Amino acid sequence: MKILIVEDDNSLSAAINDYLRAEGHICELARDFKQALFKVADNRYDCIILDIGLPDRSGLDIIKELKENKVSDGILILSARDSLEDKLTGLRTGADDYLTKPFHLAELSARINSIYRRNNLSGQNEVVFEELRIRTSDNQAFVNNRQLNLTKKEYDLLLFFIINRNRVITKESIVEHLWGDDVILTDSFDFVYTHVKNLRKKIKTEGGRNYIRCIYGFGYKFGDP
Amino acid sequence: MLGGVLLYFSTRKMVYDQIDNSLLTELEIIRDQIEQTKSIPDFSARPGHQLEVRLISGKVRPVQVINDTIITDTTGYEHPYRYILYRGNLDENTGFSVVISQTLREKIVLLEYIGVYIFFLFLSLFFISIFLNYLFSRRLWRPFYITVDQAEKFDIQSDRLPVLPQTNISEFERLNAVIGQMTKKMRDDYLNLKEYHENAAHEIQTPLAVIRSKLEILAQRKELRKESLNLILSINEAATRLYKINQGLLMISKIDNMYFQDETDISLAETIEKILLGYREIMNLRKIKVDFLAGDNAMVRMNEMLADTLVSNLISNAVRYNFDGGFIRCQVHKDKLIISNSGPPLKTDTAILFRRFQKAGDNPQSVGLGLSIVKKIVEAYSMKIVYTCVGKVHEITLLFASPAGI
Repeated sequence: MKILIVEDDNSLSAAINDYLRAEGHICELARDFKQALFKVADNRYDCIILDIGLPDRSGLDIIKELKENKVSDGILILSARDSLEDKLTGLRTGADDYLTKPFHLAELSARINSIYRRNNLSGQNEVVFEELRIRTSDNQAFVNNRQLNLTKKEYDLLLFFIINRNRVITKESIVEHLWGDDVILTDSFDFVYTHVKNLRKKIKTEGGRNYIRCIYGFGYKFGDP
Repeated sequence: MLGGVLLYFSTRKMVYDQIDNSLLTELEIIRDQIEQTKSIPDFSARPGHQLEVRLISGKVRPVQVINDTIITDTTGYEHPYRYILYRGNLDENTGFSVVISQTLREKIVLLEYIGVYIFFLFLSLFFISIFLNYLFSRRLWRPFYITVDQAEKFDIQSDRLPVLPQTNISEFERLNAVIGQMTKKMRDDYLNLKEYHENAAHEIQTPLAVIRSKLEILAQRKELRKESLNLILSINEAATRLYKINQGLLMISKIDNMYFQDETDISLAETIEKILLGYREIMNLRKIKVDFLAGDNAMVRMNEMLADTLVSNLISNAVRYNFDGGFIRCQVHKDKLIISNSGPPLKTDTAILFRRFQKAGDNPQSVGLGLSIVKKIVEAYSMKIVYTCVGKVHEITLLFASPAGI
């Protein structure tokens, strides 16, 4: 995937860059409105990560520019403001998704992948990892072509794991991914554990290997067994 | 008024003096006649006074008395009279007495008229002076009252500064100038502070995002040992806490600044149902039983997001500070919402429960802003919230502003 990161904070864009590169994406950076406009004029991206609070102009203007030129790059807005209004304005202007700072990189990655799959309907809408296959068009998961009977949460969890494979994922980011920010759960970590346990069991029953490794106290890593 | 009373009494005295004088004059004439003639002449022709002259055998001690008396006439009617009694001696062996009396009725009626007249005159004068005084002072104090009125209506959150009246009274002019400067300064400070607070809250988000993402990348390092991971974990937890505090404070300031303007009619029962759904999993896990009694479908007019936040914060507390295997009971009535739950008794004072950063337990994930946000929302919609705790049952009652919240 080719990604443009428009973010004025160098440190943050470097972190995003590091994380996404490690997942095999190609990233380009723009630090302000001018640079971003320059980049989108010449190149096409699968996804643009756009901070709307740019120093010279609002990032929303870039979206307007893109829409005027009928460019269909996926757009994910990053914003320091978590107000509903900003969210709605962003989405109405033509962004595909909205993420509030501070966010988890794992969550960012999941969102970008989701935008990518949605925008590439003609292309593949399957995520494959070893013997696991997820068909995102109808939210189905398979092990060795045998269908897994997963709950919504388990499906989301599995997809989140596969997108962020070979990565250490904090329990916190899993909770936020599965339940969002609205539900304030304190002992939700037990909860993640329950879902992980069930998911593991279901994959195992269908003959899959165990890819979920628990990192004690910290989170999980999905990858080589 | 006192003048009126004085005037009345002096008039009365004058009237009496006049009567007494006429009585005395009369007496003098009669006495002279008696003493000259040495007998009792016929006085029946004398007008004006009732006269009674008698001869007394033997010598008498001379006396002269003027007094008031009541004489009852034949019909039993009582008449006030002023009389003069005189006793004297004609010669060695005969005395005489003269009683001249004059009715006071006319005089008293006159006096009464004068009295009433004076009374009403003074009364009306009194009221007229009060009224005039009032008119004058109102006119005089008008700029002052306008100023006070404006100062009273002054709302630091509104865009409008008080409009102070022009006045040529130097004291008021000074007062207006001071109040004008003061309110302007207050408002400027307030706006500055508000802007600063909002900016600070927003600016903190980016560095927090940096901390979090760097930690996530750091966690990917293969050479990390368990101790290092634990360090990363606790830094991450602190960053999350900071984020939650920031978010909470931002929320409170947004409610304060009336950021959530648009209101709709919200069915509280539906909101509760929606929020409960989000907590169903954790309640199942902890075996917490939920009783939801939506007796009346209370409709409340408020901002949807605030309604969600309000209910969510209350329910999350009810879940968080509960026993495993405990219960939560929600009751919606027309005028109130009651959420009760089992849970260990509070360690903190219930009076300060709604204050910022008050934490009931030692839960590291709680930042202690949930209930102060609840309180802010409750205040914004002029509702009331009451917390009671009996043994191990906690109960929060939310009273809506008016029946059905309309």
